[in-house]
Amino acid sequence: MTALTTPARPDDDTSPRPIPWRRMTGVTWRQHRYALAAVAVLLGGLAGWLWIAGTSVHHDYAAVTACRPASAPACQDLATTFNGTWNAMSIPSVLLQLLPALIGAFVGAPLLARELETGTFRFAWTQGFGRWRWALAKLVPLAVVLAAATCAFGALVSWCYQPFLAPGNQELGIYGNTPFAVVFSLREVTFPAWTVATFAIGALAGMLIRRVVPAIVATLAVYAGLAVVAAAFLREHYLTPLVSSDTNVPGTAWIIGQWWTKDGRFAFAGNPPDSLLNACSFPQGPGGKGGGIGGPGGPPSSANPFAQCLAPHGYAPWTSFQPATRFWPFQWIEGGWLLVLAALLIAVTIWLVHRRAA
Amino acid sequence: MTAPTIPAQPGADLSPRPLPWRRMAGVTWRQHRYALVGVVVLLGALAVWVWTAGTSLHNAYAAAVACHPVNSSACVNLVVSFNGSATDKFMGSKGAGGVLLQVMPALIGAFAGAPVLARELETGTFRFAWTQGFGRWRWALAKLVLLGVVLAAATAAFGALVSWYFQPESGANSQIPGLYEASPFGNLFSLREVTFPAWTLAAFTIAALAGMLIRRVVPAIVATLAVYAGLAFAVAAFLRKHYLTPLVTSNINISLPGGSTAWTIGQWTTKGGRFAFAGNPPDSLVNQLCSNVPQDKIGPLGFAPCLAQHGYTQWTSYQPATRFWPFQWIEGGWLLALSVLLVAAVIWLVRRRAA
Repeated sequence: MTALTTPARPDDDTSPRPIPWRRMTGVTWRQHRYALAAVAVLLGGLAGWLWIAGTSVHHDYAAVTACRPASAPACQDLATTFNGTWNAMSIPSVLLQLLPALIGAFVGAPLLARELETGTFRFAWTQGFGRWRWALAKLVPLAVVLAAATCAFGALVSWCYQPFLAPGNQELGIYGNTPFAVVFSLREVTFPAWTVATFAIGALAGMLIRRVVPAIVATLAVYAGLAVVAAAFLREHYLTPLVSSDTNVPGTAWIIGQWWTKDGRFAFAGNPPDSLLNACSFPQGPGGKGGGIGGPGGPPSSANPFAQCLAPHGYAPWTSFQPATRFWPFQWIEGGWLLVLAALLIAVTIWLVHRRAA
Repeated sequence: MTAPTIPAQPGADLSPRPLPWRRMAGVTWRQHRYALVGVVVLLGALAVWVWTAGTSLHNAYAAAVACHPVNSSACVNLVVSFNGSATDKFMGSKGAGGVLLQVMPALIGAFAGAPVLARELETGTFRFAWTQGFGRWRWALAKLVLLGVVLAAATAAFGALVSWYFQPESGANSQIPGLYEASPFGNLFSLREVTFPAWTLAAFTIAALAGMLIRRVVPAIVATLAVYAGLAFAVAAFLRKHYLTPLVTSNINISLPGGSTAWTIGQWTTKGGRFAFAGNPPDSLVNQLCSNVPQDKIGPLGFAPCLAQHGYTQWTSYQPATRFWPFQWIEGGWLLALSVLLVAAVIWLVRRRAA
């Protein structure tokens, strides 16, 4: 039998070419469609509820702000209604902070851990698409999809909670708080940043631990530690706090510290010691019972109740705070370091995939 | 070759006997030691945190209560300081720490319970585990009961710590003016000595059943968290207030925020024996009758005193703090019954599944 031979044409490049990157989108979708669908259902359901709740919050807020004069009893009545909506929305503002942890852990940890636990990495990493390209092509598009979904959700959270964070609430006698203390990590920049960072932590944990459920648990634990450290210690120092001796710091400012000086030297921090208070006559709150701090919906007051009685004795109050105008710089600072952390962790994960003995 | 034969001794019982139940303790420990150690470490870390916060709260309480004379500035300052600790934004009853602690039963139950059956089914090792000398349903029952008892004991101890934390807010020293007190129904009710183990067992058995039905570990965990979230929300928002018929009173001082241990369920106002409105009075009524009330006279009671002068009676339905323990046992009881039902369902499914 004679075989036909064709001379090699010079412009034919027959060297093996790597498979194009876009082929990985189909693979990523097939392997993670349930996780992505679950995230979509979860965010969609919560978005529906936030939309309904937010509409009623905005309606009550519009009624209060439109009411004149603000001190009239009817307007006070509307203020009570609005403060009641804060009672309903304050618990969700805390529970929603679980979302970055859950989404990042349940999407990120099984990504590599499942392949390693079941042994299917021996198959997946020996396809035409190289192993570290495979990992990168999975991690980056999933991170982008999660970031887009959570950014949209963060915009909805911002809209829903905006009446509680608006300036001027204290003057109207309704609940108002600083945007640094309420849902700060759930806004348009920080929610995607926290989610992508947790996703990257999950991927690295999965690569190191090589078992899915322990990797999920480790991711949740690391997220909890990081979130507590960021909220309690790091966040207040992103920019040097302003210091003021004016006791009327605006209600939307984030008060970091309060201390007193006398004759230019530090006297004490926080509340005055008992020995000094004997010089003050402390006014009783309205109604003998329950007249202390903490009525429902009462705006957190930044006016210092001790200022008037201690000032004649030469004590001057000082407050360090972050003004509300710094909200967006703080969002970008926090989003920025979280994204850098995520990129670093993804790089480490890719390096580990590359390095692992076949 | 002749083999010697011994006649069967009448006292020897040669029928195969099932292995004793206590053998399963070692198997359960070996297969679930990481989960159990993880739960103990988690509860231990949280206990350290609750104990630290609770010690400072108890110290502030003791200082405020021991101070004499009660109306001096120094004593009032101690009361204010205690009130501040009690309503602390982090660990107070509506604080972030308190709210986040309430996901603990879900996490513990889901991560301990889902892998019990789902892991065996997912990896195929059930074919080995269920064909040992110990029968398959006995194996499942022994594991679920042993793990359930250990989880219940650990969470009950933590629940006692939570109750200790909230004890200064119980209103025992209500003669001190302005001292903060709160309803025990709002102070992490689901994390006390009876309800924390009950909720954890419920989550654990939901996870075991989800694992048996779904046969994959991570989807079973997710399903358990979703079902638990729905159940906990339904109970807290709708079921719990109706365990016993609420009491009704026309005393408007029953629900002073920070000054009452009663759990206010509903408020409505009647005039002349007929229903007028529920909750906050409508603006039109306030404009009509109370428009000349000066702003500083509108205290925590709102417009109720002003409307009372015009013939309106405000009614409050509430649960008194004395009903706390009956409510704990009612909630613990039905959750335990639910757990037993779910375990029975799991055992039935294990028996029924084709080998």
